[in-house]
Amino acid sequence: MISKKICMLGSFAVGKTSLVSQYVSSLFSDKYLSTVGVKVDRKSMTIDGLDVTLMLWDLYGEDGFQTVQKSYLRGASGYLLVVDGTRFQTLAAARDLQKMACGVLGSVPFVVALNKADLASEWQVDDRALIAIAEQGWPIIRTSAKTGLGVQESFERLTRAMLEPQ
Amino acid sequence: MSDAERPSAGGAASAPVGAPGPAGALGRDPVADTGAFAELRALLIGEELDQLGSIRSRLDDPEQRRREIADILPHVLIEHSADPRFTHALSPPVERAITASVKRNPGPLAEALFPVMGPAIRKAVASALAGMVEALNRTLEHSLSWRSIAWRIESWRTGKSFGEVMLLHTLAYRVEQVFLIERSSGLLLHHVTEGVSDVRDADMVSGMLTAIRDFVQDSFRVTDGESLEALKVGELSVWIEQGPRAVMAAVLRGVAPRTLRTTLQQALERIHLEFADEFEEFKGDTSAFDGARPTLEACLHTEYLPNAGPSHRTLWAAVAIIALAIAVWAGFAVRARNRWSHYVDALKAEPGIVVVSTGRRDGKFLVSGLRDPLARDPASLLEHSLLAPTDVDGHWDSYYAAGPSLALARAHQVLQPPDGVTLELKNGVLSATGIAPLSWLAEAARLAPLIPGITRLDASAAMDAAANEAIGRIERLTPLFSKGQATLAHGQDDVLRQLVTQTAELARAAAAIGRTFRVALVGHTDADGGPEANIPLSLSRAAFIKAALQPVAGERLQFEDSGVGSDDPAVRSDREAEKQQNRRVTVKVTPAASTPPASGIGR
Repeated sequence: MISKKICMLGSFAVGKTSLVSQYVSSLFSDKYLSTVGVKVDRKSMTIDGLDVTLMLWDLYGEDGFQTVQKSYLRGASGYLLVVDGTRFQTLAAARDLQKMACGVLGSVPFVVALNKADLASEWQVDDRALIAIAEQGWPIIRTSAKTGLGVQESFERLTRAMLEPQ
Repeated sequence: MSDAERPSAGGAASAPVGAPGPAGALGRDPVADTGAFAELRALLIGEELDQLGSIRSRLDDPEQRRREIADILPHVLIEHSADPRFTHALSPPVERAITASVKRNPGPLAEALFPVMGPAIRKAVASALAGMVEALNRTLEHSLSWRSIAWRIESWRTGKSFGEVMLLHTLAYRVEQVFLIERSSGLLLHHVTEGVSDVRDADMVSGMLTAIRDFVQDSFRVTDGESLEALKVGELSVWIEQGPRAVMAAVLRGVAPRTLRTTLQQALERIHLEFADEFEEFKGDTSAFDGARPTLEACLHTEYLPNAGPSHRTLWAAVAIIALAIAVWAGFAVRARNRWSHYVDALKAEPGIVVVSTGRRDGKFLVSGLRDPLARDPASLLEHSLLAPTDVDGHWDSYYAAGPSLALARAHQVLQPPDGVTLELKNGVLSATGIAPLSWLAEAARLAPLIPGITRLDASAAMDAAANEAIGRIERLTPLFSKGQATLAHGQDDVLRQLVTQTAELARAAAAIGRTFRVALVGHTDADGGPEANIPLSLSRAAFIKAALQPVAGERLQFEDSGVGSDDPAVRSDREAEKQQNRRVTVKVTPAASTPPASGIGR
């Protein structure tokens, strides 16, 4: 049995908790997010015949992120960088968060979840910005916590990347 | 070595040998041969020779070698720090170095260790204090309870300190779950449980526990080496032990001793030791730590109150039964003693019984003393006292009691008073009341003083009664006379005999009670004839009776005879049969005015 810790990173209200909820069944109440600043969930899966348990650390997203919760990142094997496709500034915040995570964890795998794909009419992140990101080598997946689009794929892709020998 | 240097090096090598031709190489001149060989050698391996020279000069130059080793050594140590041979090789000199350093001057080392020692010492002292406070709290809690009294007795009995005894009784806890958690990621490495059915998702609990530890550590800015050690909710606690690579969390219910923390620490240290490689290579494969299960399970202590329940209940039940038995026995003993005491009191109070000694022998009560034969049987008193006759052994000697009740009883036995006579004893004087024959009274007066406890018989009341009785009988007797004669009519002899008898009785009674009576005899006639004849006739008739009574009169009867003729007839009639009723003598007895001194029957 392989266990891996994954952190959910992203600005406030980008849909981190919704993505986790879409993906797992929770044991703890969401109120931990605002009180302790983190909520831990679990997802067991089988990838390429290997049993993997993902411990999903859903971190409370806010702008002053860096000050408090760096310790929550420790020991993570990867992270999901969540961007709200309807708010452009969340992409910039994601860049900052990626830098911070890189500082704490080193170069561990991560996946950018471009969330709220169901809200096409309010979409702000244009292709040019996406290409810029892709050129950096960041894997991007469009997701919708509402419809479930890309959710499974994001986590699986991240897990595969984490399981690759480094 | 660059190409530019090579010709000069070659030149240097070839300089001593000149330029010999191939012929020289074949000739017999050793010098020429040597020069040719050296040239050849320079041509063939000149570059290597240069390198060898350079290496030799480096090896021969100690300064150079020191510099080189100083350059290399840190890298070697850094890159091969995990190599156990280095650890092995370095440990002794390092230890010796530290020892030497401390010997020479302990200052620097103490200074260096101070930031580590301070918190460690504080932690140890705080831990010891916490234990003491915990024990003190419990001591205070129990110092005034029944249990504490029992524990104090146990402490006194077993020679253990009170604290030890108390701890022995109060420590009761159960370690229900133990989590082994990877320190940085919070991933659950292993988890064991005991006696809990409702185990929440251990992976998530492990994660959240780690998150909370991090949260506490971040929020309160604790110093390095300090971390959350325990969570406590009611009787449920989570004790957390932190190691360099893993954290151990024990979920326990109840009050655990501080020694449990040592147990957890030791278990965690052991896991670190046994799984050092697994920790090093940990990439999320938790099955590598399955081998830690026995160590973790050893931490699942369950500590019961040592036999507190049943054995104490049994002990108390036994004590209660013994106490009850003692109480019952004591109750019976007290009751028997009370009954005995009442019995002895009753014996002492009983007339005619004198208790001389009492005691117990062979489970029996003993009593001995004197008993009047007329006193109550001591055995009959036993019934009243509710003692069994077999419980009592009595020894009685006979004696005559002079007490009033016994004297009275004896008077009854000796004097045998006739029916209607009541005997009473007061201040040694026996008094008899009721109507009794004067003969009995006389006999009783003689015998009474012989009875112990009786000084004399006072029979005056009985005598009065006897006198009155006799007077009544006398006055009812009216002897009738023949017509015109002072002789008794036919058949009146019997009346006269009775009259004499009663008069004699009265005389005796009068003598006994010391009183004098006047016996008035009045003669009567019928109305035939005149008073001149009737008066003398009636006088004669009275004189006739007086003459008959005089012999029995004694000193206490004074006779007065008179005649009233026909003045006071019994009936007024002319019929012969009825006129006979008037020819009579009537007797009237009255107490005499003066009483001569009594001769007395009594003394």
